[in-house]
Amino acid sequence: MKKIPLYILMTLMAVVMIYPLLWLVGASFKTNDEIFSSAWFVPESLDLSVYKRAWETVTPFSMGHYFLNTFFIIIPKTIFAVISSVLVAYGFARFDFPLKKMFFALLMGSMFMPAIVTVMPLYSLWSKIGLHDTYVPLTIPALFAAEGAFVFMLVQFFRGVPREFDEAARIDGCGSMRVLIYILVPCIRPVIVSISVFTFLWTMNDFLTPLIMISSVEKYPLSLILRLSADSTGDGYEQKKIIAMSVIGLIPSVAVFAAAQKKFISGITAGGLSG
Amino acid sequence: MKNLNYRNPVGVGKYTGLLLIMPFIIGFALFTLYPFAASLILGLTDYDGIYSPEFIGTENFSDMISSSEFRGAVGVTLKYTFILVPLKLTVSLLAALLLNAEIKGIGVYRTIFYLPSILGSNLAVVIMWQFLFTSGGLVDQLTETVGLPSVGWYGDGNSAMLIIVLLRLWEFGSAMILFLNALRDIPSEYYEAARVDGCGHIRSFFRITLPLLRRVIFLNLVLQTIAAMQEFSAPYMITGGGPMKSTYTIGMLIYDEMFRFHNAGYANAVSWAFFVLVTVLVLILFAVTRKKTEEDI
Amino acid sequence: MKKLFLYLAALGCMTALSSCGGRSSPKYISPDGTLDKCTIRFSWWGGDDRHEATLAALELWQQKHPEITVTPEYGGWDGWTEKVSSQISGGTAPDVMQINYDWLVSLSPDGNGFYDLELLSDQLDLSVFDDEVLSFGRMNNKLNAVTVSVSGRGLFYNSDTYKKCGVSYPGTWSQLMELGDKMSVKGCYPLDLDIQSGGTAWYLAVVYVQQDTGRQFVSMDGELGFTEEDIRMALDFYKELEERHVIRTVRERIDEDGNAALYQSPSFMDGSVGGVLEWGSSVGKYDMVLPEGVLESGPFLKNDDGNSDGWMIKPSVMYAVSKGTQYPDEAAAFMDFLLNDPECAAVLGTSRGIPASQQAEEALKKSGLLSGLAYDSDEMLSDLDAVTISPYMELPRVKEMCNSAIEKVSYGKSDTAQAAKELYTSVKEYLKKVAK
Repeated sequence: MKKIPLYILMTLMAVVMIYPLLWLVGASFKTNDEIFSSAWFVPESLDLSVYKRAWETVTPFSMGHYFLNTFFIIIPKTIFAVISSVLVAYGFARFDFPLKKMFFALLMGSMFMPAIVTVMPLYSLWSKIGLHDTYVPLTIPALFAAEGAFVFMLVQFFRGVPREFDEAARIDGCGSMRVLIYILVPCIRPVIVSISVFTFLWTMNDFLTPLIMISSVEKYPLSLILRLSADSTGDGYEQKKIIAMSVIGLIPSVAVFAAAQKKFISGITAGGLSG
Repeated sequence: MKNLNYRNPVGVGKYTGLLLIMPFIIGFALFTLYPFAASLILGLTDYDGIYSPEFIGTENFSDMISSSEFRGAVGVTLKYTFILVPLKLTVSLLAALLLNAEIKGIGVYRTIFYLPSILGSNLAVVIMWQFLFTSGGLVDQLTETVGLPSVGWYGDGNSAMLIIVLLRLWEFGSAMILFLNALRDIPSEYYEAARVDGCGHIRSFFRITLPLLRRVIFLNLVLQTIAAMQEFSAPYMITGGGPMKSTYTIGMLIYDEMFRFHNAGYANAVSWAFFVLVTVLVLILFAVTRKKTEEDI
Repeated sequence: MKKLFLYLAALGCMTALSSCGGRSSPKYISPDGTLDKCTIRFSWWGGDDRHEATLAALELWQQKHPEITVTPEYGGWDGWTEKVSSQISGGTAPDVMQINYDWLVSLSPDGNGFYDLELLSDQLDLSVFDDEVLSFGRMNNKLNAVTVSVSGRGLFYNSDTYKKCGVSYPGTWSQLMELGDKMSVKGCYPLDLDIQSGGTAWYLAVVYVQQDTGRQFVSMDGELGFTEEDIRMALDFYKELEERHVIRTVRERIDEDGNAALYQSPSFMDGSVGGVLEWGSSVGKYDMVLPEGVLESGPFLKNDDGNSDGWMIKPSVMYAVSKGTQYPDEAAAFMDFLLNDPECAAVLGTSRGIPASQQAEEALKKSGLLSGLAYDSDEMLSDLDAVTISPYMELPRVKEMCNSAIEKVSYGKSDTAQAAKELYTSVKEYLKKVAK
């Protein structure tokens, strides 16, 4: 009984969060005219053919092909990002070493430059070694803890785990790697799940880097396909088709999130951030 | 090199840490140093982005300082950051507190609350957001039912900025997730002890939750500040920076100079000014919270 | 953090200098007069219709020339400039590219940015183009690009709206001005002008002043032709349009839906905005959102003495060959196919506007594909003594300056005299810088 106000509050908030998305799904059935003239999300008619056209795309391949492309990028990238970020964050959070402050400053600093400034020099770098128009520029940097934000997140959470845990394990004879794998990683498992999910979702949405790096249409990830038809310079575009493509494109993200959400909070409750 | 005393566990040398961060050092040398250095050098040149940069010393920087457009963009970006970040932190913390409850169906709520963040700057979201604030759009209809006069959202600088702020506020999911990660780590005994001492919900929130969350608050503060300072796609697509440049952020300025105006030398100079600005902001955040979070990095 | 700077500065100086390649006269790979087996790349931007038509044209090419494979690279307009700029500066540009008119100035200011097409005339038939049309693609006397189609902005009206208000399409500027009051009684506007990337507000004002003074806003070689007085006249003209309800004010216009394009706006779709100034080659998007046949093209406005000068034309898109191409003969042959082949023309239709190549135009006429709004407007325009738009006028920075002047005047932030003074100085300075 006590929980009813909580449900009401959360449901109200949920409506605010989800209404625009319902509208979006509804809009994929509306004509350009209807989209802007009606605030109600339910369309006048339910014509699924737009989804068929969206799925087929204007290219020789269907959206399924581009989903696969995206996964070829996302899966290695996520694995690389998690492993490298955990190692680097462990180094920063638990050890002292020469020039530590400088390296941490460099790590933070590498997040401050807008991506549009660095992407062009990187493109010329990759093209000099002939690896442009491959997935290498999109995945390999993740091996080297390229996302400073993840390292920063992990450092903060590692530091929340009491040092006594490590020390106890070391007394039992664990080396540095075993401490990491058996003590620290389980403590911050929810954070590791979070950064995997972030990598997944952010890569799904990333537009600029693949746009510059990939030029063969057959290698395009989904984010480029979603904008393939959005061109106002000529005859304009059919909004419902763009929206339908986006809706299809969202399905894996929503599924991944829904599957992962339990894990966000079920780490081993071990003092954690209460340092 | 000074002879420092490295506080490492017994038996761990001073190079273990260095070894662990090797991936970062290599990655930095390969993928960060070059673009940063190239950008710094190009910032000192007159360069169209394609051919033969011409060294012109600090001219780009002096042009920048005397440019009212640059100063305007700095003002807009700071204003946007100062409005958005506190709001976003508050909302995401409140949402995380709600979603931390152990009730049936909580997973569905969590997914719904995160949905907007999944969308990011997806084109469809922009179409939708544009629609929400059109005259006669959903927001207008809502304010009408409450009896408020219909306002033109896009034509006025402040409300145009509010549109962008609201979009990004609505996408509070990532910050919320980090709060959720941390909230679960607070042992429930703390709350029980507080209840025994006669603390209500509100007091135990301020006495226990907030202090124990200080690290993740700091984390979110820094990450959200960096993200807000770099804002580009939302104003680019929704307001085009207008009206009268009132939503024209530094991110848009850099983009325009770089790609639309083929003025890459200047764009790189602005990027470095921007870099310094963000560095200063983050340093301030580190300094202000140093004592409270015992930050020693 | 201080250290970060020093460190970066030191290392930066050592490593980055290599990034600054110098510009030298290009060493083209000379054509050898034969078509060899190879793969070439062709890139374009556009919407679905253009993608579909072009992919079909590529299939046709593949049937005719199975030995030369063409790999397509295409996308929407958003981000396309970035992509092509990166490719050109990284030396990985596609062999054949669809380019925008102003890219000639920004990517090839000295004519060395693209392959000199006159070297390729064995494969590429240039005789089917007017000399004037060819001249659009010359930079520094080198033929950098060939015009695919020529287009000009014309006036298109919602016939239902005009019928409802009981008025006919304006033929002169003064008739246009009078329409404002007549139509506002019914809650309608005769025309819409914008300050978005297209910048039709400034465009129409330029036409008005060019017709009146005979001076061109910006000359072909990048000199400002307007005086400060001319610019003021243009801004005054714009202000009068607003004051007499011919168009909505900038504020009223963006209040409706921000940065959204007019063809997506309710006020256009419901007919309360009854007219638009648009390129013949891209009026389709307006036509599509209205009931069929409702949008009609209207006359090009004259002054009261019947003078109809000052209206403008430009190449809507162009094709260029990368200066670093390994296969100049094959690229030229493919470009010839795209531009001149009658069968290809029938497949491509008007997806890039009405072809400038006489051969392609003939083919379209035969297959009955030349009709409709764009064609009507183009025909009317070709009867006028149209001015060629300077690529310098199309530079995004120049457009930006003109648009902000209009915005300031519309918002009342500055009067037309002051705005004209600022605009004159800034455009003059900028053109001096880019048109070296």
